[in-house]
Amino acid sequence: MTLLGLQWASPMMLLLLPLLLLPWFTHNQDKTVAWSHFVPVDPLSNLIGLTFKTLASVVIASLILTLAGPYIPEQTIERVGNGAEVVILVDRSRSMDDPFSTRGKALAVNRTVGKGDSKRRLAKKYLMEFVDKRPDDRFGFVLFSDKALDLLPLTYNKDSIRATINASALGKGLSETNIAKAMIKAAEMYEKESYHGSRTVLLVSDGGQEFSAEDKKTIAELYKRETLTLYWIYMRSTTGLSIEEESDDDSWSKTPEKRLHKFFKSLDIPYRVFDIESVKSFSEAIDTIDKQQDQTLIVEEIIPRVTKTEPFFWLAMMTMLILVLAQFYTAWGVRKAHE
Amino acid sequence: MKLSYQSRIAASAFLMLLVIILIMSALWFPRTDRTVKVMDLMFVLDITQSMDVADVEYNGETITRLAWAKEYTKQTLQALPCGSHVGLAAFSESRSLVLINPVEICSSYNDLSQMLFKIDGSIAWALSSEVSKAVFGAIDQAKLMDPSPDLVFITDGHEAPPLHETLFPKYKKKLDGVSGVFVGVGGDNLLPIPKHKFDGTADGFWKQSEVLHEDVYASLRSESAEVRAARPRNEHLSSQKQSHLENLASMLNFDYVVSPTKSNAVINALENRVKTRDQVVDYDWAPWFASIALFLLVLLYLPFRLIRD
Repeated sequence: MTLLGLQWASPMMLLLLPLLLLPWFTHNQDKTVAWSHFVPVDPLSNLIGLTFKTLASVVIASLILTLAGPYIPEQTIERVGNGAEVVILVDRSRSMDDPFSTRGKALAVNRTVGKGDSKRRLAKKYLMEFVDKRPDDRFGFVLFSDKALDLLPLTYNKDSIRATINASALGKGLSETNIAKAMIKAAEMYEKESYHGSRTVLLVSDGGQEFSAEDKKTIAELYKRETLTLYWIYMRSTTGLSIEEESDDDSWSKTPEKRLHKFFKSLDIPYRVFDIESVKSFSEAIDTIDKQQDQTLIVEEIIPRVTKTEPFFWLAMMTMLILVLAQFYTAWGVRKAHE
Repeated sequence: MKLSYQSRIAASAFLMLLVIILIMSALWFPRTDRTVKVMDLMFVLDITQSMDVADVEYNGETITRLAWAKEYTKQTLQALPCGSHVGLAAFSESRSLVLINPVEICSSYNDLSQMLFKIDGSIAWALSSEVSKAVFGAIDQAKLMDPSPDLVFITDGHEAPPLHETLFPKYKKKLDGVSGVFVGVGGDNLLPIPKHKFDGTADGFWKQSEVLHEDVYASLRSESAEVRAARPRNEHLSSQKQSHLENLASMLNFDYVVSPTKSNAVINALENRVKTRDQVVDYDWAPWFASIALFLLVLLYLPFRLIRD
């Protein structure tokens, strides 16, 4: 709740505030007088009495207010930084459990299931490196199998994105994947946001997919409208041919990977494919993206909440100081009078 | 108690002096280190279709088991002390899919609660609901993390396809210190399970003829037709499977909390069961000083006379 322009951590404490009326009803300090009409009316005394009652109320109120825990809530400020907004899509299909293929080498038969050098583990390792390199970036994450879920909406929190990427490398892959749905979901995450700066979709997969005409249309529209940049980190599967490579072999140009690449190129948005065949090229791809996506970006920063009890304690202390001095003066006066 | 007017004035002067000293202490007494017990946890939410049965009371409303599971997880997140780490996972088919590894709850609360809000049946990747295997899988994944979180598994315990009464899967590996709590959700009465098409749209309820009523190996055993015909055929209905969850809990040395109403229930169960870490926080004594000062002032200005002439 808000009071005096501050938020209160334990507003229930404010229910104690009526206690500030106590000084106005107290008789503890009164001297027993046989008949009050004997006491002459003294305006100055009355004024001093009222002042002390008010001061006592102020002390009680201040102490109650400190107990109610006043604070300025965490605030978001915008500053200009360098970087980009990045939504990460990682293919969770079973084939990502395989180790990297190398042209000419025999197909590695034993699937490692998320261990050692499976493509998913490598993707995780380099994505983590990428996240660590980019302090100002805002990251989002889309989890997809045959459905897509915008699991982690765009966030500046590096712990969250790291933990989400880590989780994506656990366990074995899911059987079905639908890249089109995931790509649409990623674009929709930007739709809800105001424009901060460079917007990037980073797709990591080891295979392509033929999109339906309807999906193609939606993706083309969305990516253009939301001014997105698309990076596709293509972790080459065992078939071996480079994605850019033109080949007379008709069967290769018709593979889903090749068709997907063609579709991405036709999108009329900044697009780049990184054809990854080794650990080294993955790290180079990440470096390239790191360099390219270094434009001005509006960064939201969170200023943590500030506790504001101190001013109330100071007020209580200063006021109390006056009351104490007055009381000691009274005690001294009364003692004199008795002597 | 009796005191002369003179000493009363003097006494209150000293009382007020004490109040001032207390206020000064509130301002300047240094914060001290204090340790609180924090936990590393992985919340696994059952997102299978039986969780869509609406038979849980919450705030006077009847809501689905999954909605309750999410609400309960959120409340528990809020109740855990800062410094605790929490991850989230969803269970469908026979595995627990980790969505986010444990993160510190206070700094990442916003992301955790948004992610929690997103979890629902629409991300389920298959229709079966093999609770036991999913629990075992969750333990295996917890063991891979460092530090290994303990598990809070929120489920109604409904196995589909059903398991044989005695021949159910066992966890044969070592637990390696991973422990946890089952949070049972769902009522005692068997209710029909809402059916969804694969794209998530509602499609009536599961019919008796559409689900398996025996475990998958039933036809391989040499059981007489009478034995098999005598089995109840109500797997298309769902309630909280308490005895099954009790069995699982005792096999894994987990605790089992049945339909808790307060987040304290699961936190208490966890504190008794799982490993905790000491986290040092700096403790502010100011509220204590302020409270005592306030108490003294109230005594001082009390409208009735405690002290007489």
